Amino acid sequence: MNSLSHRFKILLVAFSLLAFANSHAFHASAAANSPEEKRVTFNKDLAPVVFRTCAPCHHPGEAAPFSLLTYGDVKSHARQIADLTEKRVMPPWLPDPGAGNFTGDLHLSADEIWLFRKWVADGMLEGDASDLPPAPRFNAGWQLGKPDLILRADSSYEVPASGSDVYWNFIFRPPIATTRWIRAIEIHPGERRLVHHANLIVDRSQSARRQEKSPGSGFPGMELQIESESFDPDGHFFFWKPGTIIKPEPHDMALRLDPGNDLILNTHLQPSGKPERIQPTLGIYFTDEPATKFPLLLQLENDRMLDIPAGEKKFVVTDEFTLPESVSLLAIYPHAHYLGRDMLAVAKLPAGETKTLIHIPRWDLNWQAVFTYVTPIDLPAGTTISMRYVYDNSTDNLANPNTPPKRVVAGNRASDEMAHLWLQVLPQSPATGANDPRRVLQEAIARHHVENNPSDFEAHYNLAAMLQTRGELSQSIDHYQRALALRPGDATVENALGAAFFAAQNLPQAIAHLSVAAKARPDYFDSQYNLGLALAMDNQFPQAVEHLRAAVALRPQDADAEANLGGALAANNQTPEAIEHLRRALQLNPKHSLARENLDALTGLQ
Amino acid sequence: MYSGAARSKLSFFSGAVLFFSLALVSLSNMASAQTALDLHGKSMDPLHASHGKITVLIFALTDCPITNRYVPLLLQLKNAHAEKTNFWFVYPDKNTTAEQINEHLRQFGISIPALRDPSHSLVKQASATITPEVAVFDGQARLLYHGRIDNLYEIAGRSRPAATTHELQDVLNAAVAGRPVPFASAPAVGCYISDLE
Repeated sequence: MNSLSHRFKILLVAFSLLAFANSHAFHASAAANSPEEKRVTFNKDLAPVVFRTCAPCHHPGEAAPFSLLTYGDVKSHARQIADLTEKRVMPPWLPDPGAGNFTGDLHLSADEIWLFRKWVADGMLEGDASDLPPAPRFNAGWQLGKPDLILRADSSYEVPASGSDVYWNFIFRPPIATTRWIRAIEIHPGERRLVHHANLIVDRSQSARRQEKSPGSGFPGMELQIESESFDPDGHFFFWKPGTIIKPEPHDMALRLDPGNDLILNTHLQPSGKPERIQPTLGIYFTDEPATKFPLLLQLENDRMLDIPAGEKKFVVTDEFTLPESVSLLAIYPHAHYLGRDMLAVAKLPAGETKTLIHIPRWDLNWQAVFTYVTPIDLPAGTTISMRYVYDNSTDNLANPNTPPKRVVAGNRASDEMAHLWLQVLPQSPATGANDPRRVLQEAIARHHVENNPSDFEAHYNLAAMLQTRGELSQSIDHYQRALALRPGDATVENALGAAFFAAQNLPQAIAHLSVAAKARPDYFDSQYNLGLALAMDNQFPQAVEHLRAAVALRPQDADAEANLGGALAANNQTPEAIEHLRRALQLNPKHSLARENLDALTGLQ
Repeated sequence: MYSGAARSKLSFFSGAVLFFSLALVSLSNMASAQTALDLHGKSMDPLHASHGKITVLIFALTDCPITNRYVPLLLQLKNAHAEKTNFWFVYPDKNTTAEQINEHLRQFGISIPALRDPSHSLVKQASATITPEVAVFDGQARLLYHGRIDNLYEIAGRSRPAATTHELQDVLNAAVAGRPVPFASAPAVGCYISDLE
C-alpha cells in the first residue's frame, strides 16, 4: 500500500516583464552634405529595408498604428521615419549589434539610417518600378497553418481607456486526455495595438488558479509565481511581441504537456484612449516526436542588491555564476523594470577568453524580448557568467515611475525593480542514470541563490527540493525549515517538509507538517494525499481514509489516490468499499500494480 | 461663411503693433483662399464662430495612437472649461474622409465637433506641425499657445508612465482666468503634418 508517488514542488519565479530606457543617442548623418551623386529612391534603396524591418509590424492586423508596405505609406511618414530611425527608436531592437547574433534582428546599419534622411532630402522619389522587390506577404491568420488545438481565454479583460500600463494574466486549460508534445505555440493576444508583449508559462500544478477570483476570471500582476514539479523545469520560452515570427521548437526539444497542465499568459497592456476588451487565443501545434533533449532555464539575479536611492543615476547590480557543466546557450532574456538603463551579460571561458553574451545599451521595458541565438553558444564547464545592470533612478530616466524619484527596492510590482538574467541552456553531456547534468546545474544555481541571499524563500525551497530528490534528506529538511522560517505556515512548504520527513521515516514530524498543510489548504490535493499516506504508514487507518477520500474528491481521475484509498479502507476492514476503489483505480490505470495486487488479495480472501 | 481674411481684418483693431503681423497672415490666407470644412463639406472657421470664447484646436489623425491616448484627457479638459471654451478636433490629412472621421469620433466617444482641414488653413494659423498638437486662441482669435498637450511622450514610441508637465491644462487655466499664459509653445510629439502633403 505504500507505493508512494509523493509530490515535490518547486517554486519558480516565472520570467516576467518590463522596464524602461532613457535618453537616446543621435547618430550623426552625413546626409545633407554628402557628395553622393546618385539619388535615393524608394523602389531601389528603401523598399528592401522597409520590407525587412518595418513591414513585419506595420501591416494590417498587426500591432503598429499604420502600414508601411507601399511607396505612398512610407512617403506619408517620411520625415517621422527619418527621425525615429536616426534616434534608434524604430525599429525597436535593444541588443547592441556588436555582441550576439540573434534571430529576428531588426538592427539598422548607419548606412541604412542615412538612406531615409537622404531620401527625404532628395525629394522622396519613387524610382523605377523594375527596382521594386516583391512586397512581403503576411499570413492574416495562423503563421504555421491551422493549429491542432485552438484555445480562447475563458473571459475577456477590459483595459481602461486611460491610465498607466496594466498587467493581466489569463489561464488556459488545454482539454487533453493524454500527454502531448508541443512543437509550437502561436499567441494571438487579441487587440494587438494594446499589447506590448506576452509571456506564456506552463503551470503543471494548477497553482495560478488560486489567484483567480472566480474560475476563468484571470488575475492581475506583472510578475508570475508558478509552482512546478522539480526536475521538470519550464525550459522553454514562449514569448510574443509585435511582429513575432513563430519559430517551432527544435524537433527534439518539444515541450511536454500533461492532462491538467495549465498555460498562463502574462500580458503587458497599454490603454488606447477608449475602453477595450482583450481575449487572447492560443494556437497549439503538436508533434508525435517526444523530446529527447531538455533545455532548462538558469536565472542569475541579485535583487538583494537593489536599494536604489532617489536621484541615483548609475546604480550598479552584478551577479556571477560558474557553470558546473558544459552547456549550449540557446537564448537569453534580460529583465529589469523601469529604472534599468544599461544591461550587460558576459561569459568568461575557462581558457580565459571573454565573450559578451548580450549588451543592451539603452534598456526599454516596452521592447523587452527573449533573444534567441542564431547559433547556440558553447559554454564549457567552469565558464563564469556575469551580469552587470546599471539603473537610473533620476529624472533623466523618462520611464521613472516616481515623480519626484524615490528610493526603489526589489519587488514584483511595476514600481519596484528587478535584476534578472534568464539563460536557456542545453546541457552538452547526456543524462546517465543518477548523473543528470540538469540536476547538477539546478542544484548549483539554487545553492548560488541561497548564498547570494540567505533570506530568499524560493532559493531555500528550490535547493531543498533538489536535495530531497538526491536523497540528501537532512540537508533538504534544513533548507525547507529555513524556507518555512521565512514564510511560516506556507502550505506548499509544510507539505514538502512533511514529505521529506516521510522519506526520512520520521512519521510523527511528517504527520505534523502535512496536517498543517492540509488544514491551511483543505483543497490542496498533494497535502491530503501525502497526509493520508503518512497516516496509513503510521497505522492510523480511519484518519488515513478521511484524507485519502478528500484527495480522491479533489482529483477523481487520480489512480494512485484511488488505489491508496482502497488500501487504507482494506486495512480498516471496510472490504466492500475497498474493492470498489481498487477497481476504480484499475479503470483509471489498468496497469496499476498496487491496485491489482491488493484487489487480488482481497478478492482471493472472499 | 466668413473667410480667414475677414477675421484677421477684425483683429486688426486690437493694436498697431499687431497690424503688420496680422496683415501678413491675412495675405497668406487670401492666397490660399481656402478654409476648413465641417463634416458636411461646408466651409467653417472655428475662430470666427467662437463668440468671444477661447478656442482649442486639436490636430489629429484617425489612426494615430498618440492622439487616441489623449482622448480621455481632452474630454476631461473640455468638460472642465465648458463655459468659456470651444474645443474642435481638426483633421489635416486631405485623404481622410468625413465617414472615417465620424467613425473615429464614434469609436473613441469623442463628443467634440470635428473639422477637416485639407488646405491646412487652420494648420497655418495655429503654426501646427505635428499630430497630435493643440492650439489655443483667445476670444479675439489671437494664438496664445501651440504645441504638446503634456509631456507624456518624449518621442513617438516612448512614453512616460505619466506626464509630469501639463501644458494644455496650465494654458487653459490661465487663459480662462484672464491671466497671461505660461508658455507660447512646447514641442509636440507624433506624426509630421508635412509628411501628409
